[in-house]
Amino acid sequence: MSHICAIMIVVITMNDIFDCKLLMVDDEPELRRMVSEILRREGFMKVISAAGCKEARQLFASEKPDGVILDVSLPDGDGFSLMREFRAMSAVPVLFLSARDEDENRLLGLGLGADDYITKPFLPRELTLRLRAVLSRAYFPVILRRTEKPVFRLGETEIDLNSGMVSAKAGLFTLTAKEFTLLEKLYENREKIVTGDSLCRAAWGDNLYGYENTLMVHIRRLREKIEPEPSAPHYLITVRGLGYKLTGVEDK
Amino acid sequence: MKSMMKILTRYVLSATGVTLILLVINFAALAAWTVQAGKIAQKDYSVSQLADSLTKSDSVYTLSESLKNKIKKQNQWAMLLSDDGNVIWSENLPSDVPLKYSVSDVAGFTRWYLNGYPVYVWRHPDGLFVLGSKKGSVWKHDIEMPQKVMDNTLVWVPAVLILNGAAAILLALLFGMRLFRSLKPLARGIEDMAEKRTVELSTNGLLGDLAAGINKTSAQLAKQEAALNKRDNARTTWIAGVSHDIRTPLSLIMGYASQLENDPELPQSKREQAGIIRRQSQRIKTLINDLNLASKLEYDMQPLRQDSVALAPLLRIIAADFLNSGLSGSYSINVAMDESVQNVLVTGDEELLRRAVSNLITNSIRHNPKGCDIKVTLEKGFGNCSLSVSDNGVGFTHEMLNNLNYPKSSVELKNHGLGLTIVRQIIKAHGGTTEFRNLPEGGCTIVLCLPVSNKD
Repeated sequence: MSHICAIMIVVITMNDIFDCKLLMVDDEPELRRMVSEILRREGFMKVISAAGCKEARQLFASEKPDGVILDVSLPDGDGFSLMREFRAMSAVPVLFLSARDEDENRLLGLGLGADDYITKPFLPRELTLRLRAVLSRAYFPVILRRTEKPVFRLGETEIDLNSGMVSAKAGLFTLTAKEFTLLEKLYENREKIVTGDSLCRAAWGDNLYGYENTLMVHIRRLREKIEPEPSAPHYLITVRGLGYKLTGVEDK
Repeated sequence: MKSMMKILTRYVLSATGVTLILLVINFAALAAWTVQAGKIAQKDYSVSQLADSLTKSDSVYTLSESLKNKIKKQNQWAMLLSDDGNVIWSENLPSDVPLKYSVSDVAGFTRWYLNGYPVYVWRHPDGLFVLGSKKGSVWKHDIEMPQKVMDNTLVWVPAVLILNGAAAILLALLFGMRLFRSLKPLARGIEDMAEKRTVELSTNGLLGDLAAGINKTSAQLAKQEAALNKRDNARTTWIAGVSHDIRTPLSLIMGYASQLENDPELPQSKREQAGIIRRQSQRIKTLINDLNLASKLEYDMQPLRQDSVALAPLLRIIAADFLNSGLSGSYSINVAMDESVQNVLVTGDEELLRRAVSNLITNSIRHNPKGCDIKVTLEKGFGNCSLSVSDNGVGFTHEMLNNLNYPKSSVELKNHGLGLTIVRQIIKAHGGTTEFRNLPEGGCTIVLCLPVSNKD
């Protein structure tokens, strides 16, 4: 109950993730400056930073940040225990920014409930993308986000993933559930090769082994609906030995 | 147990051997002695020959001169007793030998001595021929045994021999057991030592010195092992520490370079330069990661996950990732796997295996800047599978092949950098082998052989 209330309150006080107040903890002043700058450029206006555990605790208590970016090794303690302290007080999302790359540390961080873990050195884009993902997951969960699915064109064929309808020259088709899953997966990775295995995992929850023929049959049926010439596919292309690729997508 | 049987067999065999050899030697000695004794006793003539050559003509007994001389030479004497006990012929007769004998006298000396002279007798047509030797030259003893005993000899002699043999074997077994018992703790100690456990043997007993030596060696080994571990640990920690310290400054370089690269206010050429800085920083990042992983794999400090990894989907996703990452059109990646390998599973760390295969593909791309065709294959063998990455590019030089296939020091930074070293280490950690080859038609192939966990 309290969890739902928290979300409701946040929703009321926050219009988008850029309203989040972020706390950045790192002992290297140059890095704090750079990260703050990156975040401001991205649109996060409220960024505060701390150089160690003690300062971080004070700021956490007084400022009540909506998100924390934590270094693992701090001069007066370690980030993992600091996160545990914070978590005892609130469910604030935590993203680790660490100079250690050891697998165990990464797992330890995620196992303790960190929302993500980035190793230094990192690209600014990597940090902002992950931070945005973490914050929207926490404050704008799926149920509250608009659930509209895309509508796109393949040449003269229009496909609406909301209704699962395909309007082609030859007529109007409805996608079956499996065809829909496969097409959605291919659309999400458009212009990229999607292996047979990941298509099978999406549709049947299993690897390709044992499903080769089934997958082929479904792809053929899908082509009959979306390709003007199913025997010479233009948009849903076979990549021999690997999988399939959806190409020539025009978003509407 | 096996070694005990070995020791006992060896002991019994040698005991049997010794017994047999002793028997042969003894028999040979006995035979030689008998022959020798016979020779001494026989000289050149026997009492029967002498008796036969004593001829009578005109009631005078004559013996040839040569025989007479021989008797004299050997300090012997001879006489002929008539049936009534009188000496009717004699040769070289000592003065203390009487000239007349009663039946009881005769009966006495035929078996024993005549006044201390050992004598031999033989029947002569005219009486009894007596040949005497020097006093004390012959030992005479009359052997007499019940017939039954003599009959049983044929059974007794072999029985005694067999008993002797059995006793020898039993003793051999006993000694063998004792040796085995004293060797057993030593053997266990050496085994323990091979498995790097500390050994503390009792130094009492026959082999105490040996046990003390083993204890000392073990202590020495433990000391060396600890020193080595300490050094390896120090090295790994040092590398981890250095790479940790490089990460923060590199973050700043990468971060600002990336911002400059995307800054629309800068001229295009400056942005391109910033891009180069960003890309090279990313290369340094990869190098740091590689160095860390290589040092951890080398000193077994990388915890290896033991998941069941399906290789076929893994290879497909690796190839797809390369093709999806905007690989130039001058490269092609083909994955060739037939039906039989689709379900091949290996036990191990999926991330590391992915790293190994990716490193091989990256290597082909990096060393063939003008493009090449890369082929990834998977084949199944007996209990293992071979995964190969081949290209039709420049291949390896002879020296590189040597360094890669027979690495002298394990962490080498030559030619192909850490990438291929890590491949070899990862495959080794999975209990597999790595082979680097050039192809006769140009290009190279790297074959990774891995044990399969589903051996149906």
